[in-house]
Amino acid sequence: MPRISDAAAPRHLRTALKASTFRCMGTVISLTLPSGRAAKGTALEGHSTEGHLAEDELAATAAVVERLFRELDQTFSLYRPDSEASRLARGEITLRGASDAMRERYAEALEWRLRTEGAFTPERADGVLDLSGLIKGHAIREAGTSLLALGREDWCLNAGGDVLVSGSPVPGTGQPWQAGIVDPADRHTLLAGYPLGNGRRRRRALATSGSAERGDHIWSPAGAAPAFVQVSVAAADIVTADVLATAIIAGGLPMLDRATDGWDVDVLAVRADGTLLATPGFRGQGITAIAV
Amino acid sequence: MKARGAVSAALASAGILLAGWQAGAQVVETSSAVAASAGTTGTGTGTTGAAGTGSAGTGASGAAGSASSSGAAASSGASGSSGAAAASATYKGALVQTRFGAVQVQITVSAGKVTDVTALQLTDDDRKSVQISNRAAPLLRSEVLEAQSADVQTIGGATVTSDAYLSSLQAALDAANL
Amino acid sequence: MNTQLLPAPTAHKGPDGAGPRAGSGERAGSGRFAGQHRLRMLRTDLLTVAAWASMAAAVALWLADGGAASISSPASAVTAAGIVAGLVGMDLVLLMLLLAARIPLIDRTIGHDRALEFHRVLGKPSLYLLLAHGLLVAVGYGMAEGLDPVSESVALWVLVPDMWLAFVSMGLFIAVVVTSLVAVRRRFPYEFWYAVHLLTYVAVGTSIPHQFSVGGLFAEGTWQRWYWLAICAVTGAALLYFRVVQPLAATSRHRLTVSRVWSIAPGVVNIEMTGRQLNRLTGNGGRFFVWRFLARGLWWHSHPFSLSAEPLATGPDGAGTLRITVRNLGRGSAQLASLRPGTKVAVEGPYGLFGTAARSRDKVVLIGAGIGITPLRALLETTPFAHGDATVLLRGSTKQELYLSDELLEICRRRGVRLFHLIGPRARWDSRSWLPADAVRSGYSLAAYAPDIAEADVYICGPNRWAGNVIAEARAAGAGAEQIHHERFDW
Repeated sequence: MPRISDAAAPRHLRTALKASTFRCMGTVISLTLPSGRAAKGTALEGHSTEGHLAEDELAATAAVVERLFRELDQTFSLYRPDSEASRLARGEITLRGASDAMRERYAEALEWRLRTEGAFTPERADGVLDLSGLIKGHAIREAGTSLLALGREDWCLNAGGDVLVSGSPVPGTGQPWQAGIVDPADRHTLLAGYPLGNGRRRRRALATSGSAERGDHIWSPAGAAPAFVQVSVAAADIVTADVLATAIIAGGLPMLDRATDGWDVDVLAVRADGTLLATPGFRGQGITAIAV
Repeated sequence: MKARGAVSAALASAGILLAGWQAGAQVVETSSAVAASAGTTGTGTGTTGAAGTGSAGTGASGAAGSASSSGAAASSGASGSSGAAAASATYKGALVQTRFGAVQVQITVSAGKVTDVTALQLTDDDRKSVQISNRAAPLLRSEVLEAQSADVQTIGGATVTSDAYLSSLQAALDAANL
Repeated sequence: MNTQLLPAPTAHKGPDGAGPRAGSGERAGSGRFAGQHRLRMLRTDLLTVAAWASMAAAVALWLADGGAASISSPASAVTAAGIVAGLVGMDLVLLMLLLAARIPLIDRTIGHDRALEFHRVLGKPSLYLLLAHGLLVAVGYGMAEGLDPVSESVALWVLVPDMWLAFVSMGLFIAVVVTSLVAVRRRFPYEFWYAVHLLTYVAVGTSIPHQFSVGGLFAEGTWQRWYWLAICAVTGAALLYFRVVQPLAATSRHRLTVSRVWSIAPGVVNIEMTGRQLNRLTGNGGRFFVWRFLARGLWWHSHPFSLSAEPLATGPDGAGTLRITVRNLGRGSAQLASLRPGTKVAVEGPYGLFGTAARSRDKVVLIGAGIGITPLRALLETTPFAHGDATVLLRGSTKQELYLSDELLEICRRRGVRLFHLIGPRARWDSRSWLPADAVRSGYSLAAYAPDIAEADVYICGPNRWAGNVIAEARAAGAGAEQIHHERFDW
């Protein structure tokens, strides 16, 4: 697994991409778009900027995403004492008096609790309602919808390691976005790759949960030591991927099997001893041909 | 005699096919009606203004949306007689397609609390995928889809804090594309 | 010309005579067999309706499950076509099995040979449908998932439970149909063909698990599942009962034992058997039984032969004798001449519609050639007709080939039947002729021997090409298709 030693990769092999980042929800969100003509691989550098993605266009697009994240953060963050979520947690308001947005997410979270047989739950061990397990995925989903509504077809949105893509890094080619998954044992090394895109398997989303970094946002129903240190789930939509990754960390192997049986997803799970469990979709060449 | 047999066979077959068609149309109508009702109530969410949110999201939002109105009406009606009389209402979520088929849940809210969540529908709609095993199996690290850092465009990993981001692979990628 | 003509009896009614004599314009609408004929035609229509309805029902199962609405893309359309092909194909397979199950209702309605003819006709369509099912589903699923059909098939085989059995089943179906077609053409021994057909049961059996476990149409709790289970179970039960239980029951009921074997002409033997409850077999003259002589080297051969005489039940409990007449036709038949008295005999039947059950008119014309004469003898013995209402034509190239002619002459005398012996070589210059050359030269035709053939049931038994010529001439003389009864002996 080669480390990234910045700029070591030959420039011409790289897809011409433009990225914009901002901080929100305690992490960094990156929006990456292919940049115009260079992306088609024909133009030489330094020529007219006509085909290039205009800087302000990227900035405007990123601004839409950022505003969306900030709005949701203001409502749902438990780190902001003035947020609706915090007031709800303190008991100052009840769900009945809560905003539609809050109750929508609560209903969705309950639905997921049911579907994961309790492995995913919107309630913290201390009984406080905590929708943060759902909010980041929801924010990514809403951002993705907005991007499509803006007419953007090719983009990659990465919010703290959870990824939603559309189209291709090289527009018009159908070539998937290649996502690398970090090795939990060495966060500067890639453990595996996974193609994301609108292709036949329609895996547009990849979410990863870990019990190491921010273990406090995942609770194991049995209170036992987590079976997996990191779980990545690839799915058609980001909320499913995110929720299931969280649920598998919490629910262990039984939840992993429920997830693969019940949803059209690919899962890569890293056990505490560093060994892997994976669905056929995560296998290397040769075997993927029969993966359905 | 032959004609009689042929005609009655044709009539009987046509009748059976028609009955099957009718039954099928009803099945489809009911399921699409459920989906449609969930879908229409869900469109007015307005948190983002974005059209066409995911199915689970819209359905749930639709249910929650109607919860607010009917819940309010019920409480205003009950307030005069007894404050303890809890308004109880049930809401249906959207039909969600899973590998097991369509799943729909019903949430019962009583006195502002969710008292019951039940699965309304668990059908075998997906004709094949139910049977296909996609279970995770042990895999050697050398067997996974390989990733060369040079040709990935994004990095997935367990949530990275803003502080950790600075030293992360994603930061390197973003820096290269800035 | 060597034609023997009995004096036609005067047209008086015998004591057991038919009701009112119909005039020359007699049709199926009157006469003592009119009701039986109408009922049989009604049953024919009902069976036709049932067969088509079952196919429609197979499609309706899918429609009722919202099948048509599921077609939303080319891939789903291809898959849907595959599913429908599979449903109809399986339905046809079940119909084929029912047609071959020797169910009395079918047998007494359309006859054993026509049932097998339909069975054979359905062979190719059902195979094509099942092949289409496999291909279309593989292509359809493949399209939906971006896989080529081969990869998709591999995936189905490997990943979906019970699918490998379905692939095995498909291979067996292909093997069965191909070998049956080849076997019929190359005239392989009946036993080879029979063994291949036994594989059909394996093919059907291995195809069943995936029908219920793969796909949602027959998922647990659906009425479709119950219907499909029911038709599979009914077919299996019919096969088990009529092909296994009934024959075993008949064998143990009648306890047949060979009592006498004697030659009546070169290569032709009479086999007489004794047994019990033979009174239960009377009235089946002309219909055939499947015999199995339980002697070393013979037991595995089954022979379809008609009774050549009505069973004689003389003793208590229907104890008595019955007789078949066999010509040395194949390897199996040749050994029958050396049968020892005391050999036990397994029997199934009676089968076929070459009997009184097929009658539609008061008058009757029996035409037989060679060994085909023997079933006519038993039929002539019992089938009801009035004096002067029956005509028998016996054809052979020599007098010796008119087997049982003495017995037949005796019956004809007793019952007032016109009997013609048509002896001599056939007219080689006329491929459509069935008469001796002499008769053809003299300008005789079927109508000359049986002027009232248009108002009679015509029973024809003999070699296929000869019988075909007789049928053609009978039809030309005005006999309707439902009046012509022909037993094929080449099954």
